[in-house]
Amino acid sequence: MKSHLEEHEITAAVAGLELEATVEEHLGSCVSCRQQVSAMRDVIDARRGDLEAEAPDWERQRQEIMLQLPSMPTIRSSRRRVWARPLLAIAAVLVAAIGLRALWAPAPVVDPGVVSELPVEQILAEVDAMLADDSIPGFELLDQGMDDAVLDNGTS
Amino acid sequence: MSTPEDIERQRDVLRAKAMDPSRIDLSQADDALVLRAQNGDHDAFGELVNRHQRRVWMVCRQYVGAGEADASAQDSLVKAFTRIGDFDRRAAFSTWLTRIAINTCLDELRRRRREAIVDDESDGDEAPNRLDLLQDGAAGPEGRSMQKQAVASLLAQEKELPPRQREIFRLRFYAEMELEEIASTLDVHVGTVKTQLHRAVHKLREELGEYR
Repeated sequence: MKSHLEEHEITAAVAGLELEATVEEHLGSCVSCRQQVSAMRDVIDARRGDLEAEAPDWERQRQEIMLQLPSMPTIRSSRRRVWARPLLAIAAVLVAAIGLRALWAPAPVVDPGVVSELPVEQILAEVDAMLADDSIPGFELLDQGMDDAVLDNGTS
Repeated sequence: MSTPEDIERQRDVLRAKAMDPSRIDLSQADDALVLRAQNGDHDAFGELVNRHQRRVWMVCRQYVGAGEADASAQDSLVKAFTRIGDFDRRAAFSTWLTRIAINTCLDELRRRRREAIVDDESDGDEAPNRLDLLQDGAAGPEGRSMQKQAVASLLAQEKELPPRQREIFRLRFYAEMELEEIASTLDVHVGTVKTQLHRAVHKLREELGEYR
């Protein structure tokens, strides 16, 4: 049997914290320790009593609250969230898959058997020949003498 | 006429009701009312208001003071109805409601840009003191005067506590919340609540030494 409770045990009893069985037992039998606990609680109770004295008329308050209530509560957002999250996840996965596919897709394979319908080589040869030929139609010198005079003048 | 022993016994019973974790648990009965309220049943919500309005007011009283407590409590309860569809029963209805009340008060305090827990409680002196109403035959005028001084000293020392300790102390003793409920409401571990509460009570007991 304990002689008297320690300070921290009295404090725990006042706070309503869980007490060891020996502390409970002592508290049940020791008037002095019990008085220490109840003295502090009396002060706290009195303070709570002061606060309660300020309380409004509960029925009036209830009526005022009831007048302010909307006809229905808002729709459960939690229910909406339950469906919205997986849908958003699926959408994100689809977008990512499409993006990755575009990035990683191989270049289109050209069938070596398919030959261009245009005679590319021939066209290029014709263009080269035309450029090498000074007498491109429409660009011939109109007057060879004029050309010489221009060169003599030092102007272009 | 009641003897001092009778009064002490009555006080013990009241304390036991307030502090005993096994006190009547209304949460199950709340669930049925919540379900009806979620479907727009005003009468069911009215019953929930009846059950919880005292605590909601007391919580608001701790945060915003006597002047604003009524308005904040009403605001909290109206918000609770509006958002009752979001209540998922992971916590007790009372815990969820208390969290709404605290958030409502904090919003109000942010709006007012004031300290989180109201310090100016001088208006409390204007209210009738319950000590004067107590029919305590053992306490004469001198005893009552001593207790009044003790209460005033308690109030003064509460203000000196760190904000978290003060908050937990007040939720425990004035809003009469269980430790687990406080932990859930403040989103802290129950061990933290116990530690902070123990420190708060220890400090107050030290400071109130001459009265206790």
